[in-house]
Amino acid sequence: MATAGEPPSSGGADGGAAPLAVELRGITKRFPGVVANKDIELRVRRGEVHAIVGENGAGKSTLMKTLYGMHRPDEGQILLHGREAHFRSPADAITAGIGMVHQHFMLADNFTVLENIVLGSEPTRGARLDRDEARRRIREISDAYSLGLDPDAMVEDLGVGDRQRVEIAKVLYRGATTLILDEPTAVLVPQEVDELFGNLAELKREGLTVIFISHKLDEVRKVADSITVIRRGTTVGTADPRTTTTRQLAEMMVGSELPSPETRTSTVRPTPVLQLREGTVTNVDGRALVDGVSLTVREGEVVGIAGVEGNGQAELIEAIMGLRPLSAGSIGLGGEDISHWSTRARRDGGIGFIPEDRHRQGMLLDAALWENRILGHQTRPPAVKGPFIDRKGARDDTARIMREYDVRAPGPDTLAVALSGGNQQKLIIGREMSASPRLLLAAHPTRGVDIGAQAVIWELLKDARAEGMGILLVSADLDELIGLSDTLHVMLRGRLVATLDPSAVTPEELGGHMTGARTTAGAA
Amino acid sequence: MSALRRLGPTLLAPVLAVVAAIIISGLVMAALQVNPFDVYAVMVDFGDTPAQQMTAIVVILNRAVPLFLAGLAVAVAFRMGLFNIGVEGQYRLATIMAAAIGAAVALPGPLHVLLIVVVAMAVAAIWAGIVAVLKVTRGVSEVISSIMLNFIALGIASYLLTGPFRGSPEGASIISTAEIAESGWMPSLNWVFDALGLANPPRQLSGFLLVAIVVGIVISVLLDRTRFGFDLKATGLSPSAARASGVDSRGMVIKTMLISGAVAGLIGMPDLLGSTHSYTTDFTAGLGFLGIAVALLGRNNPVGIAFAALLFAFLDRALVPLQIADYPASVVTIIQGTIVLAVVISNEVARRIALRSAERGMAQNGPPPAVGDGGSGPAQPAGAGRATGAGQHTDERQEAGA
Repeated sequence: MATAGEPPSSGGADGGAAPLAVELRGITKRFPGVVANKDIELRVRRGEVHAIVGENGAGKSTLMKTLYGMHRPDEGQILLHGREAHFRSPADAITAGIGMVHQHFMLADNFTVLENIVLGSEPTRGARLDRDEARRRIREISDAYSLGLDPDAMVEDLGVGDRQRVEIAKVLYRGATTLILDEPTAVLVPQEVDELFGNLAELKREGLTVIFISHKLDEVRKVADSITVIRRGTTVGTADPRTTTTRQLAEMMVGSELPSPETRTSTVRPTPVLQLREGTVTNVDGRALVDGVSLTVREGEVVGIAGVEGNGQAELIEAIMGLRPLSAGSIGLGGEDISHWSTRARRDGGIGFIPEDRHRQGMLLDAALWENRILGHQTRPPAVKGPFIDRKGARDDTARIMREYDVRAPGPDTLAVALSGGNQQKLIIGREMSASPRLLLAAHPTRGVDIGAQAVIWELLKDARAEGMGILLVSADLDELIGLSDTLHVMLRGRLVATLDPSAVTPEELGGHMTGARTTAGAA
Repeated sequence: MSALRRLGPTLLAPVLAVVAAIIISGLVMAALQVNPFDVYAVMVDFGDTPAQQMTAIVVILNRAVPLFLAGLAVAVAFRMGLFNIGVEGQYRLATIMAAAIGAAVALPGPLHVLLIVVVAMAVAAIWAGIVAVLKVTRGVSEVISSIMLNFIALGIASYLLTGPFRGSPEGASIISTAEIAESGWMPSLNWVFDALGLANPPRQLSGFLLVAIVVGIVISVLLDRTRFGFDLKATGLSPSAARASGVDSRGMVIKTMLISGAVAGLIGMPDLLGSTHSYTTDFTAGLGFLGIAVALLGRNNPVGIAFAALLFAFLDRALVPLQIADYPASVVTIIQGTIVLAVVISNEVARRIALRSAERGMAQNGPPPAVGDGGSGPAQPAGAGRATGAGQHTDERQEAGA
């Protein structure tokens, strides 16, 4: 199947002009309605740790899926060790020596380390699993790369760091010479990160190539030998971590061009819409995901929350929406304490919601658009009359939203699943705006939508703000945050660590705050 | 045109399934050296005289009524993604309780019937409610608990029948509860035949047919036209999206199971009120399980369920003529089984066709491709999106229960 490159050589020792383990030329990948990757150029030398950095949604994952054979590029070439390769499936990529360590571990908890590692490529003697052979090879791998694995331990007893090493061993066991690590540090605590970097150094010493995907710039600079930056689906350049500062990297990552200078006329009115006091959300283990957050959103104000994903923003939004209980603190909406209100009561009270994952929380994919118009607005006209659904009203109003918000679809009876992401998002925004909420929770409102739709959505949010709506904006797009916000908070490990003036802050400074590299004392 | 297009995929799946089932069963019969055409001829032969033909139709209708109610009971829960496998136990327990209480009281006609029906609905709803409470408070899968409760219900029913509720004399070959007084009988609908100028068959057309039609309309309106029905459908399609829209998932589980159970309580009523007037050891069993097949074939749509119930009733009626003609009666079981298998497959096929036609519709009307950041939303091919959706579905359902 695979017309993959030559068998892996010992590599690394060649020195000088080290040959390229992986080279991508002009890779373009389109999905209906969007181009996820465009003219990607990537050159990874054999025996190096090569980092690929970019914001969320910049197209890193799409690129890695291409390289791992999970889908085929529409244009461009993949070269392994100088030879062109065509992957039909991950199996082809594995045969060609490429291994992927996913961000979310794919391990069976009730199996031993050995069983997990050999799963899918079991050594057999007769028809039986040859445990001795498997154990011998796993020990060999574990010793060669200092992974410190016990083949007979149960995976459920292992910590996160160990599980990740099992994943790495799994890939090495299949003979990978190029390892792709997708956001490997996202799940690790700092000590585990250091251990992981130690392991990566071992892999490098043995001549293996590592492609390391991340958006944590400090870590990237610590571990990578070279860096490729991706922005908006295309490669914008490479950098040498020894001579590039985190600041310069952030600049490349977010793009130096700021959004068009705004009129900046403040529409902020004194009346607070949302008042969150010492809001705390804990997970089942009692760890605080949102830790004593206090913030106020006033009428006509956009309050932006910046932060690296996974620092509690999603939980904060869900707590305000009533989807997660507050373990401490209180939420006020227009002066009323809504801490114990149901989600429906909160919606009726005037909260609109643009969820970060529209497929999970914003839409019924297998239902018609007019039914999606009703979703979240089951209690009010025009879609509902008393206890009954007003089908005609819902259809008519859906047609209106489609017209006014430029939702491109054949009609209100179209299934939501048939729409592109941008059109789905415009429908959601149109729906939420139609109820004229007092407070709009907008989580990543332009994620995964094309640039045209993005501009439209920004305009809609600005108009809503001018009309006096309070907006709480969570985003990973620094331009968006700086451009739209009146007040900007930075969230790190569940806490608001800085409050910045968006008219004075640069994306680089903001990036520094987000990773904790800068402290509050530095700015604001 | 648009109505036809909307109905197209809905009709396609069951029709495909029935055709496939007829062909497959024919092949099975041929393999067993039975001429399938002869068998099918016997099945569609309703007799020679108008009275015989009318009798056949009455038999089919009488059988279809409980099947329809069973299908509805299952479908209400199905719409929300809940599998009420416990309909069997719910209606059996409900019927014996209703039979015992009906026999113990004396009331004027309509009130007596009403009391019996209300008792049956209440008992079945409570029994289904146990499943719901276990699910929302303890996270017990409704599939497991409802199956287990079936055994308990059947055990309790046997105990009640042989013990406290026994009405038949010692040593009788069929044990039964005491007979309900005539005021608690449901009048038959045979006057309809006279009114329509048709041959009046000796069989009694169950008066419960009218009740079933009313229940069907009520459920249909409830599911498709009310806010409650919308919340229920939304929860079934995406529990997470429903929750974010303000649906209280726990409350929905309880309400839905109570409604499903209340409808299940009606299943035994046509026979109890129309013909047997007591609960006996040989009271019609298995309707709860057939109801699952009927709901599946009817695609959880009340009208579809009505057709599915008629089809299953038609197949059931053929049992006796087939035996008389010396053909194996298991033919009917084979056909019913293959229909269920075929409907599962053809539902999926129809779903894909619908999706593809939706995508084609978009292609003609779709937006020009623009450069953008991919990765998440629109980038997912339909298949992958579906797969993740299904995964979340399970997670969420467990979450809702936890």
